[in-house]
Amino acid sequence: MNWIQVLLIAAVITLLVYLLRSRTNAKAKAWVKVGYVLFVIAAIYAILRPDDTTVVANWLGVDRGADLLSYALMIAFVFTTLSTYLRFKDMELKYARLARAVALQTARTPDH
Amino acid sequence: MTIDTHAAPQTDAWIIIPAFNEAQVIGDVVAELRSVFANVVCVDDGSSDETGDIALRAGAHVVGHPVNLGQGAAIQTGVEYARSRPGASAFATFDADGQHRVKDVVTMLDRLRRGDVDIVIGTRFAGSTRTETPPLKRWVLRTAAWLSPTSRRLGLTDAHNGLRVFNRKVADDLVLTMSGMSHAGEFIKLIDENRWRVTEEPVEILYTDYSMSKGQPLLNGVNIVFDGFLRRRLRR
Repeated sequence: MNWIQVLLIAAVITLLVYLLRSRTNAKAKAWVKVGYVLFVIAAIYAILRPDDTTVVANWLGVDRGADLLSYALMIAFVFTTLSTYLRFKDMELKYARLARAVALQTARTPDH
Repeated sequence: MTIDTHAAPQTDAWIIIPAFNEAQVIGDVVAELRSVFANVVCVDDGSSDETGDIALRAGAHVVGHPVNLGQGAAIQTGVEYARSRPGASAFATFDADGQHRVKDVVTMLDRLRRGDVDIVIGTRFAGSTRTETPPLKRWVLRTAAWLSPTSRRLGLTDAHNGLRVFNRKVADDLVLTMSGMSHAGEFIKLIDENRWRVTEEPVEILYTDYSMSKGQPLLNGVNIVFDGFLRRRLRR
């Protein structure tokens, strides 16, 4: 085993432990965790047997496994960016409503 | 400026002024409006200057955002304040930088009171008014109006005009979620979705050096278009 493989696997497992220990209790979060466990298994497999990703890539008409991974990464990045953007907009709206409630409670009326 | 003042100030109408750091002009704008309208509310959008205090001294009700949220949010706050006041039946949005004429608001309110429309929007580009809109700005605004299918269907030529007059029905149902400058497009979409009856009224815009320096840069149009596309995704 290469040193890089040891380091990558250690990093992935550390992330997994961190994620599973976080106490977010919503039902939707459970699916995120399941998805993450599957991702970790796939990641460890790909680290140990990098050539296998090339086999999968060839099934899909891509030459190298590394190219396939970078395509997958691009999609994941766009997805993350968009969901973050929407989440921020949502937060902004809540923040505006909070500020509005404060504003309306502290309204000042003129004397005349 | 002289105004053909009615005998008594109008009490059923509320003028909503969103203001952010307008201390230099807000006093005069409020005072001029107050010579015709009894009720003026200035939404101080987290200004760092004396905007709120000056507006209050000039006779406006002042609602202050604790932080700066943007013009769309300020208009929504102003409408929510005004509609909670007893006797409010007509509402107008009016820019704080002094680019609108009080006379135009009076004309638009008269138009609204005929009762066949729910909302009247000011336009620089219809009728015989000779507003000296800078050519590039004129071209961008007209293109923006033309690019929006909703604006075209409703027959609106100047969606980004800050002067709007509307009735109780519109005020009660208004929910602006775009905090920044994209609210103008959102307003048009709400008119369409809620089937509010809309018409335009020619108004004049006074392009002073001050209002030009405070106006939104044309590049901001990119943000407005982008937000417009994403808005549908955000509605839940």
